[in-house]
Amino acid sequence: MSYEYFMSMLIPMLEGAKATVLLFVIAIVLSIPLGFLLTLAVRSSIKPISYLAQTFIYVMRGTPLLLQLLFFVFGLPLLPVIGEYLVLDRFVAATLAFILNYSAYFAEIFRGGLISIDKGQYEASKVLGLSKWQTTVRVILPQMFRVTLPPIANESVSLVKDTALLYAVAVPELLHYAQTVVNRDFTIIPFFIAAGIYLLIAFGLTIVFKYLERKLQYE
Amino acid sequence: MSFIEVRNLQKSFGPLEVLKDISFDVQKNDVMAIIGPSGSGKSTMLRSLIQLEQVGGGSIIVDGDYLVKDGIYTNPTDSKMINSKMGMVFQQFNLFPHLTVKQNLELAPKLVKKEKVEDYGHRSIELLEKVGLASKADELPSRLSGGQKQRVAIARALMMNPDILLFDEPTSALDPQLTKEVLEVMRNLAEEHMTMIVVTHEMEFASNVANHVIFMDDGKIVEAGTPDEVIKSPKELRTKRFLNYELNK
Repeated sequence: MSYEYFMSMLIPMLEGAKATVLLFVIAIVLSIPLGFLLTLAVRSSIKPISYLAQTFIYVMRGTPLLLQLLFFVFGLPLLPVIGEYLVLDRFVAATLAFILNYSAYFAEIFRGGLISIDKGQYEASKVLGLSKWQTTVRVILPQMFRVTLPPIANESVSLVKDTALLYAVAVPELLHYAQTVVNRDFTIIPFFIAAGIYLLIAFGLTIVFKYLERKLQYE
Repeated sequence: MSFIEVRNLQKSFGPLEVLKDISFDVQKNDVMAIIGPSGSGKSTMLRSLIQLEQVGGGSIIVDGDYLVKDGIYTNPTDSKMINSKMGMVFQQFNLFPHLTVKQNLELAPKLVKKEKVEDYGHRSIELLEKVGLASKADELPSRLSGGQKQRVAIARALMMNPDILLFDEPTSALDPQLTKEVLEVMRNLAEEHMTMIVVTHEMEFASNVANHVIFMDDGKIVEAGTPDEVIKSPKELRTKRFLNYELNK
């Protein structure tokens, strides 16, 4: 196999990988804070807010991501009355679905993280006179992030792989270009290249999270 | 005027009455030991003073101000002001695990009192020296022994210059050797006339350091007085039984 031929496969795939990475970055950057807000909503003492957040999480985690993607990309415009205003770019619609879906998972992770924090931390903060906000930001969140880092890392790697679902809603990404070449040239090499690129991204993420874990270590 | 006046304090957890008509006074410079069997309500009583538990009835007056009057709490501003006169040391230390020893001490002065580093920076080192842990200033709590953690917790409480320190079984999570070093620090505080209320199972400490002892059982104060009265020559049968058990442990 010539170098030129290899590059002719690789370059469009790298182009596709851009969409993969872009989706990943947008989804992770937005779904983590959104997930945290959802956790706060679930814990809210205002019951309707709490129930709404719980229902949202239940629906997002209880239905397939693929179904949600299809709904956001093809289903939204078909909604009566408001549908015509919901014709979004396919990539945008898909990204929205990813953000909402992953925020539900992150919300559950953060909820677990908050539960794991000893109530003595709240009591010590209170007797020292810290406000609720100061307690949350200076005492609870740093500990919660440390505890939730491993499951967050895990979800992040899942997210990288789930970006391949873009294939199903016809947004060109890494796997799409690999599949195109496989069909055109009848070779399975692009699958290996694609796998290699996914692994490379996952490897990079692992390094970043390991670094963060070490940096935030306090036990 | 007493520094703390507690009158007819009542509290229930559901149908369970944990505090039944508790009344006592704490004077400035008092070291008061509260003893009694597990489940007698002594920790709940202590925690009520610093608003970690809400009482159902009775009054708490701190330094002339009502925290609770006949079961009704004062406004949040005043209750915060009253809380700031008290410091608390917990059985489980409750240090902030993600902060170094020094940061543990400095967090509250910085955030709550908005002090400048020139002020709290010296004080944290002085207090760490006082509890014998200046060399551990930059360690994380996880690197300390239980006794060291508790001494840091005491220093952290002192950073806020409280008028009174509340101790909730401060040595119950420690083995005898580590207990000794914590009691030593508390004894020094007593000698400096720090006002303290100590819920404890350390009868030796209660006899020798405290000037006032309260024996609680079943949510009530059974007997109160000087250590000589309550520990050396108790009048009530329940007190005798409890002391017999504790001293022969």
